[in-house]
Amino acid sequence: MPPPPTIEVNALPLALALPFAAAAIAAGFGRRLGRATGWIVFAAAAASTAILAGLPGHGEVAGFRVPWLPAIGVDFALRADPFGRFFALLVSGVGIFIVLYAIAYMAGEDARRMPRFWAALAAFMGAMIGIALSDDLLLLFLFWEITSLSSFLLIGHHDDDPKACAGALLALQVTGLGGLVLALGILLVAQITGTFSMSGIASSPAQVAALLSSPLAPAALACILVGVFTKSAQFPFHFWLPRAMVAPTPVSAYLHAATMVKAGVFLLGRMLPLFGGLPMWTPTLVIVGSITMLLGAWKAFHETDLKAILARTTGSTLGFLTLLYGLGAAEQDALQMLNHALYKGALFLVAGIVDHRVHTRDLRKLGGLRGELPLPFLAATLAALSMAGVPPMLGFLAKESFYAGILHNELLAGQPLLRWAILLACLAANALVAAVAAKFVIGTFLGERKGTPVGGHDGAGSHATAAHHADDHGGGHGGGGAHVESPPLWISPLALAAPALALGLLGATSFTGHLATAIASRPEHDFHLSLLPGIGLPLGLSLAGFLLAFVLWSMRTRIAALPAAHAAHHSLDRLWERGIANLAVLGEALSSRWQNGSLRRYFITTLLAVPVLSWLALARVGLSYRDIAVSLTNLPWFGLFLCVLLGIATVTAVSATNRLQAAIATTTIGFIVSMLFVVYRSPDILLTQILIETVSTIFVLLVLLFMPAFPQRDMDRSSQLVAMGVATVFSLAITVLLLLSMTPGLREEANIAVRPGGLLSLALEKGGGANAVNVIIVDIRSLDTNGEITVLVGVGLCIYGLLRARRARSTAA
Amino acid sequence: MNAESPILRTVAGYAIPFTLLVALRIFFQGHDEPGGGFIAGVLVASAGAIHLLSYGVERAARIRWWRVAVIGLLVSVCNGIWPMLLGHPYMDNEILHWPVHLPTATFFDLGVMLIVVGTLMTIFVELSLERR
Repeated sequence: MPPPPTIEVNALPLALALPFAAAAIAAGFGRRLGRATGWIVFAAAAASTAILAGLPGHGEVAGFRVPWLPAIGVDFALRADPFGRFFALLVSGVGIFIVLYAIAYMAGEDARRMPRFWAALAAFMGAMIGIALSDDLLLLFLFWEITSLSSFLLIGHHDDDPKACAGALLALQVTGLGGLVLALGILLVAQITGTFSMSGIASSPAQVAALLSSPLAPAALACILVGVFTKSAQFPFHFWLPRAMVAPTPVSAYLHAATMVKAGVFLLGRMLPLFGGLPMWTPTLVIVGSITMLLGAWKAFHETDLKAILARTTGSTLGFLTLLYGLGAAEQDALQMLNHALYKGALFLVAGIVDHRVHTRDLRKLGGLRGELPLPFLAATLAALSMAGVPPMLGFLAKESFYAGILHNELLAGQPLLRWAILLACLAANALVAAVAAKFVIGTFLGERKGTPVGGHDGAGSHATAAHHADDHGGGHGGGGAHVESPPLWISPLALAAPALALGLLGATSFTGHLATAIASRPEHDFHLSLLPGIGLPLGLSLAGFLLAFVLWSMRTRIAALPAAHAAHHSLDRLWERGIANLAVLGEALSSRWQNGSLRRYFITTLLAVPVLSWLALARVGLSYRDIAVSLTNLPWFGLFLCVLLGIATVTAVSATNRLQAAIATTTIGFIVSMLFVVYRSPDILLTQILIETVSTIFVLLVLLFMPAFPQRDMDRSSQLVAMGVATVFSLAITVLLLLSMTPGLREEANIAVRPGGLLSLALEKGGGANAVNVIIVDIRSLDTNGEITVLVGVGLCIYGLLRARRARSTAA
Repeated sequence: MNAESPILRTVAGYAIPFTLLVALRIFFQGHDEPGGGFIAGVLVASAGAIHLLSYGVERAARIRWWRVAVIGLLVSVCNGIWPMLLGHPYMDNEILHWPVHLPTATFFDLGVMLIVVGTLMTIFVELSLERR
């Protein structure tokens, strides 16, 4: 099937530029704007959604492309194909409600942190839309990294809380490391195919075939998968997600349920057309996905913290999506993502409301809130029903179509054992998730009201209970009047849960099926979705799942007592943290040996590097000291005389007994060398040399008093010998190089200045100057000079800072 | 060093303007003859050093020399960025012929000179302050 025609839409980049603009406003003027900042971000989200919704569809794909780094074929290329557009709309649409919720939820927060919060949230939204719309792999990577960074800021919102900082750091370490590996994979793909354009590769069968047959393809895929698994919290990188729950609840709902963690699986959807034919694709994804799915669901069953429960089940669902892509079932990926984003976003937001109300999220202390929070109770019930896959919710449709998808999967044809193993794993995970959904709603809203103080926003009593989960003290600071201009908290969860019901009911018509097909990454026209399923295996599996969930639910206390429930808790994140700590120790040990601060060792290393490197370079072009053919017959007598003087001065310098002597001797050496330039008629270098000698003499005089005793006296015999050896080797190497450059034959070849078209004529023509040296410095090679002068300024500033700081310390003491 | 020496002051009164004039000449001749921004900068800095040694460090320290270096860097970089605004590559110098023969690289060289002066004088002044 040929790809649909792409039409340029200039409004497309606006969809991601608006959130970034809002981020810039929040960062720059957030302090002055105060509470209005949130509304600006809200407006940006709404405008982005409107732009994305208004894009042309039906047979055409909106695109936008400007060359960015044309030299290496990187374009700022956006492409809103149905799947990408769906994902971008999911990000911006859910974003609207998250922002609305956050305006109310964060009302009691410390106002100083809010500009950063809004800026990071808006930048995150823009970057996620960027990931969804990027057609260029490098562009996608750029946005990918922005999401990692902004999520670091969002998770660590309470920067005075060590737990929040640790959680944010862990998330950044894992996703950041994964991002680096992903970059490697992207570069490998570009190396193989010669392009960064995903649609360009996917639409050309020849390119895909070339990619798959390349020996580098498995390595490229492995790198990309590491990026995906870290971002989407797949086993064995799943451990950062529960720890990231220290974030404020709107952040958890947005990043860790609806969008960011889905960026990984979204990339899987983008990679399926590229790498789907690789033999390692299916086994890797199926195994990793299944493990994550079962592990997450099992762990969720034992958690008691509302957000931890939701985080674990999110991990489970992401594992399930990975499994889905492993089986190549891309015809329903968007449906599953949409379903999860709706119910999980709603549940997170309800957890935040509960937390605000009673200042705890511990299920053991919750219960009976249905009377106090009727609307959140409604939202949570709808969302939990969808999560459990109960008809007529969207979750039911998703689960049915997924069972059907596995039953009819072509990859599993002829492998009934494997098919049933996967089905049973999914059944178990679904049953666990359904039991968890029941636990969430029943534990929080039904039953007896537990003895926690009725919250609202009163004082000390609620603080005492909130103290044990200092991770999210959003509600703790709330003042009664702070919510006056805020939208009520319950709007957003209801707005997310309602579509789960509406789309489920619309499943009775063909609308939901058409929608799911229209937004899937690989639409299939015979994809069938109906609220009224035929009597068949999918329905049977669903019923079996409910039965199992009920059994699990009724046996929950007995299961919780099992030793397996507590085994290996948090073991992987401990291992990771120990690894990071060891890395720091290793780095410290290495740098304290390598950068040990001893000037002598630095000198020895540098001086030895010169002969070794020049020897290597000479060996490569096949030259050695034997090629030197410099005749010394017509040496002028005054030149020889200068050389003799030079020798005397050198001996004096080496045998000096104090610094002043050594300084005078080295200065003399410098001036004698400049006399040599007179002999060889090199006024340029002569001028420079004399001036440099003058200036360095002033330096030496200025610093002489501060220098410690002459160290040469303290050196033992062996160090002196080493110093002498190094000096000899270095000078021999320089001598050989100089003589080689003066050897007839080599001299003309080496002289890039005078030969026709050389630097001398180039300087006159292009630079308009006859002094080739200067024209080279300021014009032809001005980029080099640019670097050098930058270093010079840096050195000056360093000296300034160091000496000033030292003086300030000594006057203070 | 004795900053009160009358001999040093008398010599400095003639030496400093002369050195600065030579530096100016060397700066502008640099495009065709030996010279250029770097050497001119070192010359100016040595004039500064003479001033510092003869009149004491307090007067030289009145100027924030590191700012001179930073301004020099800005001049050089702006000279590189200017062609980019006209659609040419970074540091794409050209030769102006009006009103005088003037390659735009001269401004780059001016930046180099300012940086050399600023950095050297920073070090001189800071080290002299250290001595007190």
